[in-house]
Amino acid sequence: MKLSRRTLLRGALGGAAVSIGLPALECMMNRHGTAYANGTLPKRFGVWFWGNGVIPTHWNPTGEGTEWALSDQLSPLENVKDDITVVSGMSVKTGNAIPHGSGPGGIFSGAPLILRGGEEYTFSAPSIDQVIAQQIGQDTRFRSLELGAKPGPGLSFNGPNSKNPPESSPRRFFDRVFGGGFTLPGDDPTPDPRLRLRRSVLDAVVTDIGRLNGKLSMHDKQRLDQHLTGIRDLERRLVRLEENPPSLESCALPDAPAEEFPDVDGRPPMPEIARAMADVLALALACDQTRVFSFWFTYPVNNVLFPGMPAGHHRLTHDEPGDQPQVNSIVKLITTELAYFIERLRSIPEGDATLLDSCAVLATSDTSFGRNHSLDDYPIVIAGNACGALKRGIHYRSPSGENVSMVLLSLIRAMGIPAADFGAEAGYVDRSLGAIEA
Amino acid sequence: MDRRLVALALVGLTACAKKADDPPLDLTALPDGNPAEAHLTRLTAAQYRNTVRDVLGEGLALPPQLEPDLPSAGLVAIGASESTISGWGVEQYENGAFSLAAQVMDDAARRDALVPCSPAGVTDDACAEAFVEAVGLRLWRRPLTSEESAALVAIANDAASTLGDFYDGLEFALAGLLQSPNFLFRAELGEGGRYDDFEMASRLAFFLWNTAPDEALLAAAAAGELTTEEGLAAQARRMIDDDRARDGVRQFFTDMFELYELDALAKDPKLFVHFSTDVGGYAREETLRLIEYLVFDKDADYRDLLVTNETFVNRHLAAIYSVPAGAREGFARVKLPESSGRRGLLGHLSFLGLQSHPAASSAVLRGLFVRRVLLCQEIPPPPVDVNTALPEPSDSARTLRERNKIHLENPSCAQCHNFMDPIGLGFENFDGLGRWREKDNGAVIDASGTLDGVTFTNPRELAQAVRDHDNVGICLTRTLYRYATSHVEQADEGQLIVALSERFAQQGYRVKALLFDIVTSPGFAKVEAHQ
Repeated sequence: MKLSRRTLLRGALGGAAVSIGLPALECMMNRHGTAYANGTLPKRFGVWFWGNGVIPTHWNPTGEGTEWALSDQLSPLENVKDDITVVSGMSVKTGNAIPHGSGPGGIFSGAPLILRGGEEYTFSAPSIDQVIAQQIGQDTRFRSLELGAKPGPGLSFNGPNSKNPPESSPRRFFDRVFGGGFTLPGDDPTPDPRLRLRRSVLDAVVTDIGRLNGKLSMHDKQRLDQHLTGIRDLERRLVRLEENPPSLESCALPDAPAEEFPDVDGRPPMPEIARAMADVLALALACDQTRVFSFWFTYPVNNVLFPGMPAGHHRLTHDEPGDQPQVNSIVKLITTELAYFIERLRSIPEGDATLLDSCAVLATSDTSFGRNHSLDDYPIVIAGNACGALKRGIHYRSPSGENVSMVLLSLIRAMGIPAADFGAEAGYVDRSLGAIEA
Repeated sequence: MDRRLVALALVGLTACAKKADDPPLDLTALPDGNPAEAHLTRLTAAQYRNTVRDVLGEGLALPPQLEPDLPSAGLVAIGASESTISGWGVEQYENGAFSLAAQVMDDAARRDALVPCSPAGVTDDACAEAFVEAVGLRLWRRPLTSEESAALVAIANDAASTLGDFYDGLEFALAGLLQSPNFLFRAELGEGGRYDDFEMASRLAFFLWNTAPDEALLAAAAAGELTTEEGLAAQARRMIDDDRARDGVRQFFTDMFELYELDALAKDPKLFVHFSTDVGGYAREETLRLIEYLVFDKDADYRDLLVTNETFVNRHLAAIYSVPAGAREGFARVKLPESSGRRGLLGHLSFLGLQSHPAASSAVLRGLFVRRVLLCQEIPPPPVDVNTALPEPSDSARTLRERNKIHLENPSCAQCHNFMDPIGLGFENFDGLGRWREKDNGAVIDASGTLDGVTFTNPRELAQAVRDHDNVGICLTRTLYRYATSHVEQADEGQLIVALSERFAQQGYRVKALLFDIVTSPGFAKVEAHQ
């Protein structure tokens, strides 16, 4: 989708609540016109993560700009090459104190970790999905959704010690979004007197939180504030269940995924689980249930036994000798699933464009080269162009190991959020990566 | 005395450079320490479920998922005083609250057990209030204030009028009790430098029983007994003698030994034909049954856990350990033969299999567990920029000891790996699941080594060396103290921990005595109000 200056003017003159200088949060609407109340499509942001990094020599594309070729590990993305931007040669600058921990801290929060002894750590600042959800998550039923193809804590942080854990069952994820109370466009919500009563219970909980808050230390106050945020979000969700849904043309009820995905030969069927989740997530976005997500294909240091592999993934990254053909094939399995997800987003029409066009998906990992935990030449793929805010179909290779926080600032701004800077200490930037911006 | 002194008393390792032993401190009385700062502790998933079971009744369908517990400083109990409730967690607690409340109110027997009156009509203020105050006292572990009670009665009345049924009203009031931070968090904030009676009741119950206080404990709190020395000691004795203390001790060791990780135990079934996804749970049960038996049935020396020939197995574990099962169904106590290389905790699958890779054993993980968990010695994470690949098995390097050589020969690796690998290699007679083996890739395994100056030639002797290590007693004391108080000790509490560990030794390393000493120590009763 391309936005000409003329379209922008028409949008403004047509009475849509878009004014120059304010964050433009949405794409212009299509010729059908009525899908969203103000005639615009929302922007969406997501993180797609896998653990244990890549093999940089097999990952980095050749060529630069629009003249580039996919590498072996990126080759599964062939069908979506024009919809992605690959960024290489950039560095996490926030130190490398914890193998597999410092990378996520840098690439998601732009700030050094808080170390707790041993290999324990917490982020010192919110992860980018929550930074963005704070700004654009208010209008949907869910401020953000977190999913993981394996059980695990995820790395979506509201701040220190405050995580948003992912759902790891495709079926439970489906039930959460499309079960109890979800109303399809065109259907009237069933009036339910219990919804109002549930809200009044939450009001009482809010009062309890307020009473308790007065007696607490600053640290515990912040923890309860997080609880309060969750309660407020749930209240809003209950209100939404009573409203007529917007008539979104591409919103449909996904098929309910299987209840269980049993291991095959003692190995979890990761592709099947990830695809079942991707199918539900894509329609959750199309139905505007959320505009922000994080998808944890695997986690840092995971030892998942992938099909046909003689040892767990993490162990192989360190122990497989030579050119690491087994690790290489695992990375390609992962990019195959990334490609599936991107294609799934692209398969959903939205106006004259597709769901993918309104998205910016940051796909990345916890290290660059898994074998030695390097944080230089960091693997970054961006899918979608956030309604034209980003370039796509290019490979940008940093000539000088620039700070990855620049990419994060570009993404935040691409969501229409007028951020002046991002990150902290050595991760701080006040300059975004112009080369990937449209 | 501060934390550094505890570290010294623990024969600490700082950046992998070994420090000289400090002379043991001779402390006869428990010293006062600066107390911990007041803090908020979230109920763990197990505490939530146990409390619901104890207050609302057995057999309810419990929420399938709750906000996950995250360990901090090695303990979920400490993570609970740092972590938050996410938006999704709020949703799960709300769903869970209404599901539980409906189950209670839809079942006349359950309902009548909890509602102490018959309603006079669709709304009945007095009856609703009686219910809210009685159940509220149990769930919130303290009497409700009149405002709190009035707010819940108003919710009950509103719901009852709207839905046309008194018990529908109570359902909403109960759901409110179950979603309140007064239920989901333990707010133990103290007054005048010490916890009040109801806070003490909560601390005792969640520590010793891993659930909310029972009625007797709440009655003692209401009578002001828990802030007196005799009253506290009497309740502590009652609680430690009660069967529910078994739940508390099981939970503590689940946390300390990270046995919750066994739920996700994954092994390559092509290499480990005895593995199935149930094995992790069986392995946890073995370890917990043995602990329960030693602590409660035998009142034994804690260190026996490391060297006992007794254990508990079901048919699956018996097959893995190559011992007779003892029972067709379920677990039975069995005696491992003296000739067996396997004994004690360090012969359990919960250690050998968990501290391994999915397809192989690991000298590093096993050694690290002994240092970090059993001996409380910190070892820093590996440097981030080294090539950690081990050579594949070959004719010149068939066993892990041979392949691992670089860890101990390269000086920069060796400064830390010297503390872990020699221990882990001593367990190499157990494969990545925990089955006994004499050979690895056809070569005979050499399981000899030294642990801080004590030589061993096989896993049996290594278990003895760990058992005899100076740190074992104080490490258990410190971990149990941290667990009991949900925090990492502050300056000055170190002296108290050292004193507690001395008494632990004097009393024959009996865990029940240590439980009593901790809950009657100043560290358990005193609190520093936040600024």
